[in-house]
Amino acid sequence: MSKATVLVLSAALWGAPAFAQVDFSGEWAPLYHENGPERLPGPELGDYTELPINDAARLRADSWDADRISVVEQYQCRPHGSDYALRGLGNMRVWREIDPATQRLVGFHTHMLAWDSERTIYMDGRAHPPEYANHTWQGFSTAVWEGNMLTVTTTHLKENYLRRNGVPRSDQAIVTEHWMRHGDYLTVVTVIDDPVFLTEPLVRSDNWYLDPGQHIGIFGCEHAPELPKPEGAVPNHLPGTNPYLREVSEWYGLPYEATRGGAETLYPEYRLKLNSYKAPPKCDRYCTCTTLFDCQLR
Amino acid sequence: MTKYLLTWVAVATAYAQLGPAPAKPKPPRNAKEAAPVDFTGYWVSVVTEDWRWRMVTPAKGDFASIPLTAEGRKLGNAWDPAKDEAAGEQCRAYGAPAVMRIPGRLHLTWADDNTLQIDTDQGTQTRLLHFGASPNKSTQSGSGTWQGYSIAQWEPPVRGVQSPQQGLGATREGARGRSLEVVTTLLRPGYLRKNGPPYSGNTVLKEFFDLSVERNGDPWFVVTTIVEDPQNLTEPFVTSTNFKKQRDAAGFSPAACSAR
Amino acid sequence: MKLLTFAILCGSCAWGQVQSQDAVHVFPVQGNVSMLVGPGGNTTVQMGKEGIVVVDTQTAAVAPQVMAAIRKLAIPPDTPIIWVINTSLDADHISGNEALLRLGGSNEASLRARVITHENVLNRLVAAGPGQARVADAASINDTYFRSPKDFLFNGEAVMVYHIPAAHTDGDSIVLFRRSDVISSGDIFTPDRYPVIDLANGGSVQGLLDGLNKILEMAVAGKYQEGGTFVVPGHGRLCDEADVVEFRDMVAIIRDRVQDMLKKGMALEQVKAAKPSRDYDTQYSGSPDVFVESIYKSLATPRKP
Repeated sequence: MSKATVLVLSAALWGAPAFAQVDFSGEWAPLYHENGPERLPGPELGDYTELPINDAARLRADSWDADRISVVEQYQCRPHGSDYALRGLGNMRVWREIDPATQRLVGFHTHMLAWDSERTIYMDGRAHPPEYANHTWQGFSTAVWEGNMLTVTTTHLKENYLRRNGVPRSDQAIVTEHWMRHGDYLTVVTVIDDPVFLTEPLVRSDNWYLDPGQHIGIFGCEHAPELPKPEGAVPNHLPGTNPYLREVSEWYGLPYEATRGGAETLYPEYRLKLNSYKAPPKCDRYCTCTTLFDCQLR
Repeated sequence: MTKYLLTWVAVATAYAQLGPAPAKPKPPRNAKEAAPVDFTGYWVSVVTEDWRWRMVTPAKGDFASIPLTAEGRKLGNAWDPAKDEAAGEQCRAYGAPAVMRIPGRLHLTWADDNTLQIDTDQGTQTRLLHFGASPNKSTQSGSGTWQGYSIAQWEPPVRGVQSPQQGLGATREGARGRSLEVVTTLLRPGYLRKNGPPYSGNTVLKEFFDLSVERNGDPWFVVTTIVEDPQNLTEPFVTSTNFKKQRDAAGFSPAACSAR
Repeated sequence: MKLLTFAILCGSCAWGQVQSQDAVHVFPVQGNVSMLVGPGGNTTVQMGKEGIVVVDTQTAAVAPQVMAAIRKLAIPPDTPIIWVINTSLDADHISGNEALLRLGGSNEASLRARVITHENVLNRLVAAGPGQARVADAASINDTYFRSPKDFLFNGEAVMVYHIPAAHTDGDSIVLFRRSDVISSGDIFTPDRYPVIDLANGGSVQGLLDGLNKILEMAVAGKYQEGGTFVVPGHGRLCDEADVVEFRDMVAIIRDRVQDMLKKGMALEQVKAAKPSRDYDTQYSGSPDVFVESIYKSLATPRKP
């Protein structure tokens, strides 16, 4: 190469813009150091604590019968929505998609263990689909950078749940996520705006640890009739008849009203209304629970 | 001559297209000036996780979600609030590794240009996050305290192995950090929750504070808390706690520590 | 002059907004089938070399926009409409027949469009009685069926028209485009609003549930209960089997509650006051009272065999 060419190339490269991005790629193992019993073996029936739900959500949840998952065949292989998937069996793989022509980030892809769910988080500025487009379990996600934090907006979600004991999340919800990577830790804050079932946004956060040794297998699911029920049967509890709603209150000594959830119960001053709380003499349910394999009922 | 003239023209053209180098900003004089985001103000915890372990004192032996060692479990099962009260140790669950999980309100201010102060209403605790502190100063501070000694920095941008270099395929300057990173040591032994799961005086506490503004305009911050205590924990104990900003001090109700 | 220019521009903006509200949007579904979303509801179109099938023509007022949307999709643009299928007698599904065929049908006798409904639709349209006679709509129908399904091969796939008895009305049809794997459901399925059970025109809640179950029987979901067979509803967004399940469950659960109250001897006003649909009212538009009343009356009146 001649001196001239080198000089010209050097001038062209001087001042080339930096790419300002954080890479979330990798195998992420979920940490269940919060809400272990709810996220692993599953939430107790009637436990609506921590949720700023309205009366409609409460009645839906009270009416929900777990039999629906097996009797209604179409429920058997129903995945978590992309918002709830982050809280469940959340072993996750993330990888980037780079445009080969521009070498710019097109988006991130995620693969979750549960139901092999995959999602694309678009970062190329494309618009969300129109309101009459079909909804999916993962929804349609776009994202922007805010410094080192990725803010994701998801619309077009199918109806799903805020908690898998029947508390619903509607198909009109908009979900915002904030992804933050600190070394080998990933924190995702999820903000659910649901005008149908929430009186204020539900803000939760989950954590992962980078685990290069993780191998996510195939989840797999086949649906089949399991019980001889009449076609079209939809198991549900009529209003006021669900016999399980007071169990949480009895097991944990909580006032029944507190277990019904609602925005008021999320704030510190609500503790003044918990005077009737009487802790059981000792723990006898899920006293240890940090992984799927050490979470024992007793 | 022609060759060098042509080269000069090419360089000048490239320079003209790229423009002159941007003026480098002056380095900030102190941590307050360098703050990429503003954490000051009043904040309220919104308990959407671990509700029955935070809003009330859980039953003895209820250590769900905490990866305790056998030793930690044994100590936790020996929890005796009456004994703690008698010993004046009501604040054992209000140490730095746990105080952010207690439902309450915080007031964040700059104590000085290089110290961010967190006052909690529950337990009336004060945390001082020292920017620019040297590690040596922390090791010389003596015996542990409930809040320990916290060294803070604004999280530096992600970098490659080498120093950032410009050019094709070289290491690059990462995104501007917006996080507050805090490492706390010199802690007095305490509890991770009100019902006694322990952490030792050798605990290293790492925290990351991140700010966001939601669709309805509400500012929130999340603090990711990593408690490293091999004596009592089989692995780092990681939680993330969410706070919503308040307009004012409404509801900030100082209350003494409680062992029960 | 500046004021005039400003006024013209503002007027254009306003006109643009009005036009947008009346616009018909095109949304390709899969295979040969697309959905047209109009101000009054949805139209399903299937097109290919043989011509065009239109399911539900909306109203005469919207026919130009519907035809313009069809022209955007059709190759060549002047491909004629050969089949029209109306899923019920509702004006917002049938009143556009004549206007649309004037714009997009063929003038050749051999290619004259067939306009299909179940025979109950034609019977009710011509029946005497106040508000029942809709002469123009009736006159637009030239082909009825009574044995279900009515089927024909068109553009390389089977088009199957199923009668759903006593559902939204007693003349409902759903249309399966078998190779494209799309079902056009009409107003049996309306994911954004409570279904109308038109008792006066032979509808019933059990028939509606049977119709929804029929759609579920026909639909096959893709992996993990998503995609696969798509369902174009009478109103609302494009859906699949999982969405139909949610809607069916809603109808079944509210039906169960009303049935329980009926068994307890509660009168209609008492049932309405109990608000048996209150956990769905924030999600589905339409009058909860009207929906509950139609269920009550439907249950209280035994269905004719």
